Amino acid sequence: MGAQPEAVARPERRLAETPWRKAGAAGGRLVLYGLLVVVALFYLLPFFWGVSTSFKTLPESVQGFDLIPNHPTLDGYRTAFTTGPFARYAMNSAIFAVSTTLTNLFLCTLGGYAFARLRFPLREPLFLLVLATLMIPDQMRLVPMFQILADFPLFHWNLIATYQGYILIHLIYATNLFLMRQYFLTIPKDYEEAAKLDSAGFFKTYWKVMLPLAGPAIAAITILSFQGTWNDFYWQLILLQDDSKFTLNVGIAQFTTSGGYGHDWPPLMAVSTIAIAPVALIYLVFQRYFIAGVTTAGVKG
Amino acid sequence: MAVATEAKAVSPRRRESLAGAKVREALVGYAFVAIPMGFFLLFFIFPVGYAIYISFFDWGLLGKIEYLGLQNYKDLIHDKAFWTWPPHIHAASENSAFWNTAYYTAVVVPTQMALGLALALAVNAKIRGRTFFRAAYYFPSLTSSAAITAVAIYILNSGGVLNAILSKIEGHTVRTPWFGESGTALESIMGLNVWTTSGTMMLFYLATLQSIPTDVYEAAAIDGASRWRIFSKITFPLLKPGHFFVAVLSVIGCLKIFDQAFIVSAGKGGPAYSTETAVLYLYQTAIFDQYWGYAAAIGVVLFAIIFLITLVQRLLFGKAEIGY
Repeated sequence: MGAQPEAVARPERRLAETPWRKAGAAGGRLVLYGLLVVVALFYLLPFFWGVSTSFKTLPESVQGFDLIPNHPTLDGYRTAFTTGPFARYAMNSAIFAVSTTLTNLFLCTLGGYAFARLRFPLREPLFLLVLATLMIPDQMRLVPMFQILADFPLFHWNLIATYQGYILIHLIYATNLFLMRQYFLTIPKDYEEAAKLDSAGFFKTYWKVMLPLAGPAIAAITILSFQGTWNDFYWQLILLQDDSKFTLNVGIAQFTTSGGYGHDWPPLMAVSTIAIAPVALIYLVFQRYFIAGVTTAGVKG
Repeated sequence: MAVATEAKAVSPRRRESLAGAKVREALVGYAFVAIPMGFFLLFFIFPVGYAIYISFFDWGLLGKIEYLGLQNYKDLIHDKAFWTWPPHIHAASENSAFWNTAYYTAVVVPTQMALGLALALAVNAKIRGRTFFRAAYYFPSLTSSAAITAVAIYILNSGGVLNAILSKIEGHTVRTPWFGESGTALESIMGLNVWTTSGTMMLFYLATLQSIPTDVYEAAAIDGASRWRIFSKITFPLLKPGHFFVAVLSVIGCLKIFDQAFIVSAGKGGPAYSTETAVLYLYQTAIFDQYWGYAAAIGVVLFAIIFLITLVQRLLFGKAEIGY
């Protein structure tokens, strides 16, 4: 008795509801769009304001908040990069980011290949050890790393405030090594079998067979390494205690703190724009690899 | 053909060469991972032990001065700048690094998770332009923290955009120095970081959302379940791995809050210690005061806290999973 009336009632209810539902869905869609746009503005407007201010004169930067400068000028950029020291800082940021990207590319692809394909005793425990390093917070490493770099074991080098020191401790990001290994595991073994018959060595197999097949993963780790070093503030602040080695990020911190809260906004926003631009451009062009890299690296990270 | 002749030739020698090939493969394997393993041992594994070792000493810039045993840890318990008991939050002169960090974490984690989930649900809907929206929401996440903090300082300064907008709304001039007052400084950093990292949380929720098979939804739709019912009874529970992952990521990220606190306060944690965070305190102790042993002890305690919280979260979410 319970089931029968319901079965009859159902189609009736649906008929009654359909026009309502349609109108509701359209209205809901409109509301959703409105919300999405407002939220997007909220996420992007601060950047537009920053960039716009970088092209303003100092008086205009504190008077109005028009998104388009009334008297566009490059004075802010000139103050920071020509008169000020920021050209050098930008150069340093680029040196660190490019060199650590190159070391990551070579060492993570080679190591990832070995962990994915070559058989050697203790391979799995060693790889677990690499993953375990992801749990060690950088904060705990501050004191010991500073001590290690101030008096490098065996050689007694002082690597504080040097290019080598900073690059040395960023040679490899564990997430990149993980990413490469995972990617190599998905490549069918047939490709290497063919190379083996040719009696190619392991390095040749890695170089000629595996690397050309790993394009997307290589793109992802290139982006992640560059972004990681370019955006780093913590280690740059701790280790590069000499203004000839300052990066954009350390320079920005110096800039905002030196003058208290009476600021020269256009040059500060000019420097910030330059600090944001490279990663933003890479993101615009390679969005696909970016997101794939972040989620894969994060899922295990 | 070549293979056939080889097999016929000499089987004992071939077995030997097989063993040789195995050894060679292993040696090449070790050679390929040698630099990475050396790197991780020297710069990650060794520093853990070294930090604990240093924490037992009065340690200066140039090395150990005196063995102290557990004294650094005992001092930390009584250190009012690090933490106080009972806790004080926003009692001007009583702000402490630990409670500031705890307060920051307690506010930011749920906000970030809720916002991340809401954004993920929104951009997961079948709508035109969702790639654009996704990119827009993620954008602040990928920029340099120093640069974005500079932009925030510009917008939130007493004569900045936010105050101009508030002045229009309220009808009189508002000139709050958001980062410059002890009652609003830490909250402003909270807002800044919810804004800059919610996009990352969105991405992880999105990845989990897309792993839910669509036939579950189809079945629910046939049953005529309402949207809210589908969300609360199906989507939300099925997102559990996502919740766990995002929660851990968010909590750990919050406990490490440093860059923004350093930049807005010129490294001092002011005004009135309102932006003094645990990691900023660690930094000041090591770099400004040169008390390396004490700073190492703070690092060890932070590591222990992060580790414990991860464990507790795993246990909690693990149990909930059994319940279903």
